[in-house]
Order: sequence, then C-alpha cells, then structure tokens
Amino acid sequence: MFKYLFSKNEAIPAGSSAVYFGFSAIVWFVIGTGLGAFNASKLAFPDFVHGLEFVSFGHMRQVHVHAVIFGWISMAFAMAMMYITPALGNTKLWSEKLGLWNCFLWNIGLSVGLTVLWAGMTSGREYSDFPWFIDIYISLFMALPLGVNVWMTIINRRTQGIYTTNWFFAAASFMLIIVFIVGNLPEYFHLTGLTEAYLTWWFAHNILGLWITPVAAAIAYYTIPKVTGNPLYSHRIGHLHFWSIVVFYSTPAAHHLMSAPLPEWLKSFASVEGVLILVPAIAFVSNILMTMEGKWNMFVENLEVRFTVTGALLAIPLNMQGGFQQTRAINWYIHGTGWIVAHAHLALLGFSTFMEVAAVYLGLQTILKRKLYSITLGNIHYWFLLIGFTVYWVSMTIAGLIQGAGKIYEVPYIDVVIAEHPYMIARWLGGSLVFLGNCVWLYNMWMTTRVGTLVPKGRMPHELAYER
Amino acid sequence: MAWTFKSPLITLSDQSTVSKAETLWEGEMLGGLTEDNNPIPKPVVWLVFLTVCTAFCVTFPLWGQRPTAALYAPYVASMDKPEVLAAKSDEEAMRRIVAMNKGTSADAQLVRHPLTMDDLRLLKDQIKALQARPDVDLKDYTVVGQKVVIANFEGNYRADGTRIRQQPWWDKGYTIDLFYLTAFFTGVFLVVKRLPPTEWQPRHGGDH
Repeated sequence: MFKYLFSKNEAIPAGSSAVYFGFSAIVWFVIGTGLGAFNASKLAFPDFVHGLEFVSFGHMRQVHVHAVIFGWISMAFAMAMMYITPALGNTKLWSEKLGLWNCFLWNIGLSVGLTVLWAGMTSGREYSDFPWFIDIYISLFMALPLGVNVWMTIINRRTQGIYTTNWFFAAASFMLIIVFIVGNLPEYFHLTGLTEAYLTWWFAHNILGLWITPVAAAIAYYTIPKVTGNPLYSHRIGHLHFWSIVVFYSTPAAHHLMSAPLPEWLKSFASVEGVLILVPAIAFVSNILMTMEGKWNMFVENLEVRFTVTGALLAIPLNMQGGFQQTRAINWYIHGTGWIVAHAHLALLGFSTFMEVAAVYLGLQTILKRKLYSITLGNIHYWFLLIGFTVYWVSMTIAGLIQGAGKIYEVPYIDVVIAEHPYMIARWLGGSLVFLGNCVWLYNMWMTTRVGTLVPKGRMPHELAYER
Repeated sequence: MAWTFKSPLITLSDQSTVSKAETLWEGEMLGGLTEDNNPIPKPVVWLVFLTVCTAFCVTFPLWGQRPTAALYAPYVASMDKPEVLAAKSDEEAMRRIVAMNKGTSADAQLVRHPLTMDDLRLLKDQIKALQARPDVDLKDYTVVGQKVVIANFEGNYRADGTRIRQQPWWDKGYTIDLFYLTAFFTGVFLVVKRLPPTEWQPRHGGDH
C-alpha cells in the first residue's frame, strides 16, 4: 500500500483502494468483535480481569462500538463504494490515489480515536463518543475524501443513467458529512441540556438511518442482480425505497427520547415517522426477494447470495421492532434495557453486516481475480456468524424483557442482575462465536489472496468449479 | 421531456419522452446490471397504506398515557366512605374503591395504572391540596410514582393566562406528519409516473 501512496494515479492498479479498504474492514471486524466478546465476558463473569482501569467495561464499551461502526461497517462500505461505483458507471474510480490515502488516513484516524476513547477521553455522548478533534478529523479526512471520490466517479461515468445503488452511495456519503458536522455541534459549541440530548440522538439515529441502512441496502441492490444475473425486479420500487429513506428515516430522532421533557408534539411527529420507517423496509425487502425469482437455488449454493438474502430477511424483524418499540405504548417498557442492545445488534451485526460481508467476499474475489480459497471455511464463517448473532440477539431480547419487568415492578436491581446472568453468559458465547467466525474469514481471505485459483477474464468467481 | 396529463395513472411523459427512455433503458448496461420496469406490486401498495394508517393509530396518546391527578380524584373521594373504612385489610379496601368507581370512561386507564392503598394514602393529600385551589384543573397534573406534578405538556393559553397541560389526541406533530406524507407521496408519484408505462418491459441482452 505504502509504495502506491506516492505513485502517480495511473500507475496504481485499478481496485487497489477497494482491496485495502476490504482487508482493513476485515481486520477491524476481528478487532471489534474480539473487543465485544471481551466486554461480554466481563458482564458474564464480573471478576474476569477485575481491577484494571484500562480494561474496565466503562473504557472498553465505546472502543468496541466505534471499532465496529467506523472500522468494520464503514470501511466495508468504503470498499464497496470503491469498486461498485465505477463498475456501475462503466468507468474507473476517479482517483485510486485518493482512495488509498483515504484508506490510510482512515486507519490512522480510527486508531488514534479508539486510543483516546480507551484512555477515557470521551464526549460522554453515546455513539458520538469521540472528542471534537477526532470528529473534525473524521469529517475532513475520512468522510469527505470518500464522498469526493464517489461523486466524481459518478460525474465522470460513461453511462447516461445512474443505477439505484449509486443514488444511495452518492446521497449517503454526502449525508455522512452533514450528520457528523451537525450531530457534533454540542461538542463544538458546548450545547447542553435538551439541545445536547436531541442532537446526540439526531446523530445516532441518522448514522443508522442515512449511512448504515441505505448503504447496506444499496450493496444488496448490486450483489443480487450481479451474482444471480437477474434484472433488478423494479426500478419503481427503488424510487419508493430511496425517497422514503430520505423523508422518513431522517426525521424521527426524538423517538429515542420518548420519556424526556421534549415537546410532546415533537414526539408525536417522530413516533409516526418512526413507524413509517417500515415503508423503505417493505420496498427494499420486496425488491430484493422478487429479484431472486427463479434463482432461489443460489440461496443455498452461493455464499454471497446467502449472506445478502439473510441480511435482507433480517430487515423484516429489524424494522418491525424498530417501528413499534419507539411508540409511547411500548417504549416505556423496554427503554433503557437489553432489548435495545439486542435491537442495535440486529441492525449492525444482523441486517447490515451480512450484506457487507457478501460485498467484501464478492469484491475481493472479483478485483483480485481469484476464487475463494475455501468454500468450507466460507460456510463455517456464515454459520458461526448466523448462530452467534442469533444466540446474542435472542438472549439479549429476553434479558431486556426481564429488565423491563424489573423496572416497571420495581424489583430490586440485584435480583434483576441475578435473573439476567444466564443470558449474559449466552451473550458472551454468541459474541465469541462471531469473533471466531471472523478469524476464520480473515484466514480464508488472506489465503485467497495468496493461493486462490485464478479467475479467467470475463468470468465471475462463483461460475468456476473448485480445484481444491 | 414534455409532460402529459391525459392518463396520469399510466404515465406523465409524452410519447417522445417515453420512447427515448425506453431506448436508453434497453441500450444501456450499467456495469452489466439491468433493471425491469415492473409496477410496485399491489400487496406492497397495500402494506404501505396499512403502515401509514398504523403509524397514526398506534402513536395516538390513547396508549402509553401517564395517569393524571383527575383520574384518581374519585378514588381519593371514596377513601373516606364508610364501606371502605369498614374494610378489614388494605387489599379489600382497594377492591371496594375500584368497584365503586367502575363504569366510567376512565375504566381502561385505571386498569392500566392500578394503585395500592399505600399509593393512595401518599397521593391523597396532594390531590386534595390541588382540589382546594379553584384555578386548578386536575387534568393538568400527572401522577409520577408517588408524586403529583404539573404535566409536561405545553398547550394553548387559557383566558386566565395559565397554560393547558393536557395531552391532546391530535397535535401539530401529526399535522407536520401529514405534510411530510403528502410531499412524499406526491413526489414519488411524479417520479414513477414519468417512467414508461408498466406494460412495457425492457428486453435485456438484446441489440446493445
């Protein structure tokens, strides 16, 4: 990578930045889920490495969350953008050099950011925990160069139309910058009280709603038609999806604060919009499942399709939960419990991760022109991820319901802790399984790079028989 | 790019615009991907319609409403009645109070927010103190745990300058939602109806 940072753009092989973003994403996924499993072990076994401030849960939780969101998820998105955006425009990436610098600066910034979080320097606001100088760095050196590369590639495309995936990429990379600048205003201007609370959740909601959700869906709009060879079922549903994300997903931040003294009309507004999040979900899931028509055998046979469709199917419980748990009638019960932790993992580790994994598998094989080293290891990765995630999600959902009951019926806190203990162990087991699966994945992709079977020009990796 | 409004449910584009769009649609390969021109399926349209209705119905503050002081005023009044005072235990006294106050429009809310006699004893003096003030509407006060506090709503001003602090079934948040929904459906309708009619499907992998 380093030798290309100072090369001429023309001298850098096409796809280099996607490859480096892809491998960085996998490494951060291993680190992020490793930290998650470690944190979960501290909840399951409170005496484990007890008394060391640097590895206390309060220090480590944010490091896990940000390693996963900005390391794994966002770098996998960047990887997908670096190879899908030019492919859909029948052109090259606008600047491979900018992409490589972007990847390099991303890794540097994230490493510094996680180190300061680990050291206890934090804004104290959930999801926007990074201190102000890291926020500015992310806006200028991580999000902006990514956006510029995506927008310029789309502007310089060699097609007249723009495929659905690229609408989402262009809009989401723009919104990421806006979300970072506006959402962190309390940090820059010392805004406090309700303004701080509202902007904190405006940031947290829109990182999900205008970055993670649309980009993950955009990837599926590419992966499924590309691998199955089917046309996307409906361009019109694509419009319904895109515009409903813009209108309905950007507005319900106040539904995270249903018990706060915000104006009630704002909660009414946000709560209706919160249920309307089901509209883009319905559009997305129906479009992907209808595109699969006649190719459902690939759900069993093809790894990328299996990952993507699993992610799309997980969008159903995700949005059913998300739409209704924020209403006044339900929120009072589950607010502040493990139910929310389960829901957040359904969004990030379930819905979006499965689609990103597919994009990284497909992208690395396509760019490196090498077939996957081992489909068996790929299958192990899939099942470890699915079983590990499911164990985590189910156990935390049950733990959340126990906490909700304890909260409402004023059960002594320590009794709730005791009742939850088995589910904390299950959570640790599930998280550890995910971590192990990712270690297998890293090995499999590394070996693919080294000794994967070469794919002839014009062929897709999955079209070839395995040689080993 | 001319518009036509002859059959707006079929297409809003004139024939030359439709022809251009069809030619481009069939002739262009977007990185080897293609798209079909299928209509939004009827079940999806119905699901979207159902979602919009549900969004309003489940968020109206008929559910999840906090109890007001007015809700428990009849309970407080019943506490000093002879049949309640004659009860042998707190549980029996509470059962009698609940039975006495059944059959009103507050039944459903009272079921959702049950009290014990201990709760009532703590609330009694606070509610009576409010009732002693002629300018106070008990519906403006919320019961939070064992405290009666001014409700966290900011409605219109009354003639006497005090503010209505009661949760309305409709507020300006819902009105803004209607504005968003109108803008959204109008926008999406215009965008999708500018496309060629759904009877036409592109032939993929043809002459290009």
